[in-house]
Amino acid sequence: MTIPPTARASRAPSASVVLGPGVAAIEGAPPLVYRDVDLLGRPDRPDRRFTLVVPAEAVVAVIGEEESGVEALGRLALGLDAPATGAVEVFGVPIAALPYAQLLVFRRRLGYLPQGDGLLQNLSLRDNVALPVRFATDHRLREVDTRVAQLLDDFRLRAIATLRPAQANEEDRRRAAVARSVALDPRLVVLELPFVGLSSRAATDLLDKVSHRDDGSRRAVLLTSRDLSPSVRTLVTSVVRVVDGVATDETK
Amino acid sequence: MTAAVAAIGRSGARQLSVLGGLARFVVRTVQASTRLTRAGRWVMLRVLLSQIRFTALQAIGLVAFLAAILAFLVISQSIRQLGRFGAVNNLGTIMVVAVIRELGPLLTALIVVSRSGTAIAAEMATNRVMGEVTALEAMGIDPYIYLVLPRMLGAIVSVATLMVVFDAVALLGGFVGAATNGMSFTAYTAIVLRTLSAKDIWLTLAKGLFFGSAVAAFCSYHGLAVKAGPTEIPQAVTRGVVSTIVAIFILSALFVAVAT
Repeated sequence: MTIPPTARASRAPSASVVLGPGVAAIEGAPPLVYRDVDLLGRPDRPDRRFTLVVPAEAVVAVIGEEESGVEALGRLALGLDAPATGAVEVFGVPIAALPYAQLLVFRRRLGYLPQGDGLLQNLSLRDNVALPVRFATDHRLREVDTRVAQLLDDFRLRAIATLRPAQANEEDRRRAAVARSVALDPRLVVLELPFVGLSSRAATDLLDKVSHRDDGSRRAVLLTSRDLSPSVRTLVTSVVRVVDGVATDETK
Repeated sequence: MTAAVAAIGRSGARQLSVLGGLARFVVRTVQASTRLTRAGRWVMLRVLLSQIRFTALQAIGLVAFLAAILAFLVISQSIRQLGRFGAVNNLGTIMVVAVIRELGPLLTALIVVSRSGTAIAAEMATNRVMGEVTALEAMGIDPYIYLVLPRMLGAIVSVATLMVVFDAVALLGGFVGAATNGMSFTAYTAIVLRTLSAKDIWLTLAKGLFFGSAVAAFCSYHGLAVKAGPTEIPQAVTRGVVSTIVAIFILSALFVAVAT
């Protein structure tokens, strides 16, 4: 594909790079940009707009209280919700403007950990991790199995791989959900409240794994959180606090 | 008076809206089937097989039992009543038209609705409430492919298969009913075969296709329509089952009007 004319980012360079079958992105564009987005559903407050750029290979943490609007960021980044004002661009593409079928294909190049974990309860942890590789690629079954085995090892899930989510503890569920989010080795991962209920050590371990791609290079990560532990902050490139729908830089 | 008319209009509009939504739902499911990846086909096949196991295989005993009892009752009573008028030769018509052509598909579909339709609606609603549908979409997986399509195909195959089982067992049950009333196997077979035709076979298959689609489509549609939370799940199941039952009876009537 080609991105429909209406979906092209107005301020992005015109050269495009193919991200997957039928989907292209703007080359050189930052992985994720929120531009003048109304997070609070307050069209009458143009001064309350959220703007943020997640650069390539950076880990950006956005922290904020429950009503600050921070919880809307993940769904906006995945195009699950459309911004009422402004734009959300992923690799230069206003994601919410993509037609549904192309949106599905586009999302396969993004990783997403929804709040909670979003694991399918009737599947084992292994099958949950395998799901995107099976459905979103054209790999042969053997290739799928190899990739899944690698992910289970990387995230220390092999011993509990046959358990259903309800049988696993919170940390294991979270690791399985994060493993699933990076199963397709995306260049951008969005994590919604990934550390709730985890120890500081587990959180650090998880973020360290998520921030590296298969080839060892760094990937862009946007994570939302209520707060960050000092050990997690050491792995974060920048921290942004959302207050009343507006981003404010926070010292690391 | 105006209020009553307005209420009827609102209800009609609501029903039409549901039908429109359902039509879009079915079209999206069919469209989704064209976008399956190679590995995705295997996963879908696995879900499909488990659906058939639950919907068809595990229901065979119940369907066979009900088919045998129904045919036994109908044939026993019919022989007694028809015998009084010397019309036992019409037994075949009753067996084929009433039991095999009409009651068999209807009862089979109702059994599938009560066993699997409820499960489909409840599972879909739970998927929605637990955020699993959103998680699938976020992974770039079309929920219509992963959730709806295998259930649709599974219900079609299962209902058609169970109808064949129902018919076969009903024929045997009918014979037991006939035999206990003094009719020989040869006479029973001759009377039934005289009425049975190829049309009954394709009608059974066609009903399997339509009834199976109705079970999966209505129950999936109402299950996935849940928005508010877990308290809506039982309501979604009720809506799914009731609308499927109504649809099956309407389809049965349409089959009579069109195909006979």
